[in-house]
Amino acid sequence: MKLKTTLCSSICAFLATGVTASAEGLTIWTINYTSDKQVSALTAAEAEFEKLNPGVDVEIVMRGTDEHKTALRVASGSDTGPDIYAYWAGLGLGGEYVQAGMSTDLSSYYESYGWGDRLTGPSLAFSEAFAEGKHGIPFRFSGEVVYYNKGLFEKAGIEGEPETYEDLKAAAVALKEQGIPAFTFGGTVNWHVMRLMDVILETTCGAEKHDALMAMELDWATEPCALEAFTEMKWWTDEHFLKPFMGIDNRQATTLWFGDRAAMMLEGDWHVPTIDENSDMSKYGMFAFPTGTGRLYGFAEYMYISTKSDKADLAAKFLDMFTSDEFQAAHIGAFGALSVNKNVKQGDDALELHKEWLDVFAAADGTFVNGDQAFPLDVTTEYFRVINELASGELEPQAAADAMAAFISTR
Amino acid sequence: MLLAPALAIYTLFAIWPLIDVFILSFQDWNGINENREWVGLRNYYHILYNDPVFWVAFRNTVIWTIMSVIFPPVLGLFLALGLNQNLIGRAPLRAIYYLPVIIAPIAVATMWRWMYDPFFGLFTQLLTNAGLAQLIPDWLGDKDVALYSIFVAYVWQSVGFSMVLFLAGLQSVDRSLIDAARIDGANRRKIFEHVTLPALRPTITIVLVLSTISSLKAFDIVYGMTGGGPAQSTQMLALWAFTQSMEIFNYGRGSAVSVVLLTITLAIVVPYMSWSQRREEDAQ
Repeated sequence: MKLKTTLCSSICAFLATGVTASAEGLTIWTINYTSDKQVSALTAAEAEFEKLNPGVDVEIVMRGTDEHKTALRVASGSDTGPDIYAYWAGLGLGGEYVQAGMSTDLSSYYESYGWGDRLTGPSLAFSEAFAEGKHGIPFRFSGEVVYYNKGLFEKAGIEGEPETYEDLKAAAVALKEQGIPAFTFGGTVNWHVMRLMDVILETTCGAEKHDALMAMELDWATEPCALEAFTEMKWWTDEHFLKPFMGIDNRQATTLWFGDRAAMMLEGDWHVPTIDENSDMSKYGMFAFPTGTGRLYGFAEYMYISTKSDKADLAAKFLDMFTSDEFQAAHIGAFGALSVNKNVKQGDDALELHKEWLDVFAAADGTFVNGDQAFPLDVTTEYFRVINELASGELEPQAAADAMAAFISTR
Repeated sequence: MLLAPALAIYTLFAIWPLIDVFILSFQDWNGINENREWVGLRNYYHILYNDPVFWVAFRNTVIWTIMSVIFPPVLGLFLALGLNQNLIGRAPLRAIYYLPVIIAPIAVATMWRWMYDPFFGLFTQLLTNAGLAQLIPDWLGDKDVALYSIFVAYVWQSVGFSMVLFLAGLQSVDRSLIDAARIDGANRRKIFEHVTLPALRPTITIVLVLSTISSLKAFDIVYGMTGGGPAQSTQMLALWAFTQSMEIFNYGRGSAVSVVLLTITLAIVVPYMSWSQRREEDAQ
């Protein structure tokens, strides 16, 4: 009897193992997210898809930003890797993989699932930008604006939000007179300080020339607006940054901002949940950096189906669920103020700053992307270096412009 | 025949990657494309003449190596000499000094990064409490200070390693020679100079060679503390090879930097080892 029971248990265990082993796996690689809401949304997606598709085992692998980039590049040279990978949609990042044939053309899925009708126009802009067909599906469209501390603005006697670049500079001077640094940035991650340079370039060059500079079609050394941008950048870093800043990262800068050590931060709409989780939202306001062009500074993040995946249909089904009205409505605000699904809107219970974000998105007249998404990676690395040299006082504006031009011409 | 399995594994995981890196240094490859384009010496030309970071990384590697073969070995030797005496608590002290060696460099980097935090870090607090707030540098954010700030953390971590090697070396010093020198009237300094130090020569060679090799390939602690910043001012050749390959994804240029680094390492280590071996043989 005992032998029979043991035998039966073994067979049952074997069968159970067999069932588990035959479960269809779906692997998704993405970056780590800082907000609890974002992590919860991803975890919920995993659970919900498994519930809707019995026998499917979804594994979402989250890594640090650099680790994610490296892991994906290593995987691209092998036969292993994810079925779906999340990546920024710009030329220097997701665009490179699309051009290299690492992204499955999703045209048929766009048609069968009706994604083109469901998703917002600006977020879809990158899907056809880099190759024939449609590549990737947007899951997040982010904008970046200036967040400010209302109390510190009041202390400096600043009435109203700056509407022009000159207003913003005047506000910085007024803050300085009260001993308050205008901005806090974290220099160790490079891309944080870069944001200010990006928006200043948009301000001094205007939309067309800015785009041409980022496309490396204009000469940085001889273009007056590039020199002017570096000169302005130096003014800000010399006079109006909370110092020291080169030895801290963006999270430390955020902590200092919450501690009222500086008046402003240049952050994305993902910053709203962070404020909500760490401080009193009524203390803060926001306004688009007054570039004068009306374009919104921001970028899209896409989920791509790898060409190495043999589960494209299942992967597409997951993407369909993730961008569906139901799922997006259940997790509205988790990845930003604006859902990529045009049928899903923030309700009256939305966070106050998220409501303001809707106005910013609505008022935007086009977009321009972050420098590290616009440039190829080697130029991005040099762009970081030049900005940091300038910010550290090691490089004068003309030398900075010359360095950019020299690198681009010899790369 | 018995060596074959080990040789096969070594060839697969050590020799072949070495050869592949050498070949890659003459190719243009971004890690995605199936074809690697043969570009001859173009990668070497670029890193030597057009790369604004290579020579900074080269200079930093030289400075780091020079400091690494001086400070940790000298401090390690002094610690070993001290802990070779009959002290109370000698064993726990040896363990305490050796402890940082077994901590992962990336953990050391994280710990020291927090200690160097310019607003809330330990050193900032200590200097502020001492009324020296105006002297607080931006430890990891100032180009002139950052490399040396990282080096202090590196010394803290690596000195125990030199100490243990010297302690082992000190056990081989013939006690009778020391007693004989003492009877002949030699003082402590003379005994150290003429008995202990010559006996430690093989150990010194090992410590210096290992220090040189580990300093030339310095990577993890720099990566963890500054990532090569600010403005690439703490870049090292090993880290720049990694950055070119795994962050910029230009495997050709990254490999060219690696080959240059390997060449420098061999150019220093091989002649030194051969000279030191000859000297030992002559002494015998």
